[in-house]
Amino acid sequence: MSGGIARGRLAEERKAWRKNHPHGFVAKPETLPDGTVNLMTWHCTIPGKQGTDWEGGYFPLTLHFSEDYPSKPPKCKFPQGFFHPNVYPSGTVCLSILNEDSGWRPAITVKQILVGIQDLLDQPNPADPAQTDGYHLFIQDPTEYKRRVRLQAKQYPALV
Amino acid sequence: MTTAGEEAAAAGEELEPLFDYKRVQPTINFRFDDSDLEKADIFKHCNKRPRVDAAATATEEEGKPDEKAATVKVVDVDEEDWLLPPPPKAAFKPSAEEDSALRELRLKRQELAKLTESAHDILQDLDATAKTEVVSKEQPEQIIIDDESEPQVEKAREKIVISIQDKNAQQQIRVYKDEKFDKLLKVYAKKAKLNPSDLVFVFDGEKINLSSTPEDLDLEDDDLIEVRHKRH
Repeated sequence: MSGGIARGRLAEERKAWRKNHPHGFVAKPETLPDGTVNLMTWHCTIPGKQGTDWEGGYFPLTLHFSEDYPSKPPKCKFPQGFFHPNVYPSGTVCLSILNEDSGWRPAITVKQILVGIQDLLDQPNPADPAQTDGYHLFIQDPTEYKRRVRLQAKQYPALV
Repeated sequence: MTTAGEEAAAAGEELEPLFDYKRVQPTINFRFDDSDLEKADIFKHCNKRPRVDAAATATEEEGKPDEKAATVKVVDVDEEDWLLPPPPKAAFKPSAEEDSALRELRLKRQELAKLTESAHDILQDLDATAKTEVVSKEQPEQIIIDDESEPQVEKAREKIVISIQDKNAQQQIRVYKDEKFDKLLKVYAKKAKLNPSDLVFVFDGEKINLSSTPEDLDLEDDDLIEVRHKRH
């Protein structure tokens, strides 16, 4: 079974994260009600980049790792209905480095994934739309798009 | 074939080296000296008492070179030689009664000495077990938080290095594992010339309660905590 490999790698990822990570980001394996840690699911926070319309928002993201990690990338999900051209209605992030068939490499770290998604927030990829709402506004009504983004940032204030 | 006289003489000769056991005695004295148990008393008695006794033994032997007496005495001396001091030059002859009374007392004293010694041993044993217990308890202590069974006195205060990260800077600070974050925040704020009431420490996305300690949060060496500035 490759589950041992996935967990071993994730334990290392967590260790490295505790010692160093970009400011404002959070990434921790979920703790089950009985107090045990489930390394296969991580609860993360991505801060909106300063100087962008996303600033001030702390967006919750969940990483779901499979037993095939790191051969296969984790599934990364924002809350359902998250407003962004490259986020599916289910909340799943569509990003090349998270695609097993294109940009994913086993050497990509959790930190790189989270920073990559932070970049994506302000730099959507119109060539790869995942939702109609976000995509159409981004293409057709930049003002309204901006307003929606700022509104969403306010919906996810810092918890601290 | 040996005659009674020869045997007695032989016994006498054997006795000489036995009395020379004074070389051994310092070891015993030293042991008492080493113990913390009323050493002064025991020490005195050990030195004083056998001197009289040995005098009695010596004089008796000279007085009655009788085979039985000699054998008995050899046995006596054999058993007690450990505490006997060098042969004295005492001139007086104690009576037989006095001698036996003294002997009894000496036996008692030996017993007491042994007791003292064993008590000392037991104390050392206890000490050792206590130490090993403390050691074996301390190891899980690092993992398990809030283990209150550990006596605080025995524990050396552990320090860890943690990184404090602000938006643009990061610095490492060495802190006691059991020191409240309250103090760390004040120290940090003073260094950064900021108002401590404007700052919040965050670990894993959660605000750190200032009355908690690194130990409470299971922090490890080189762990990173963040500083966030309260908005007004």
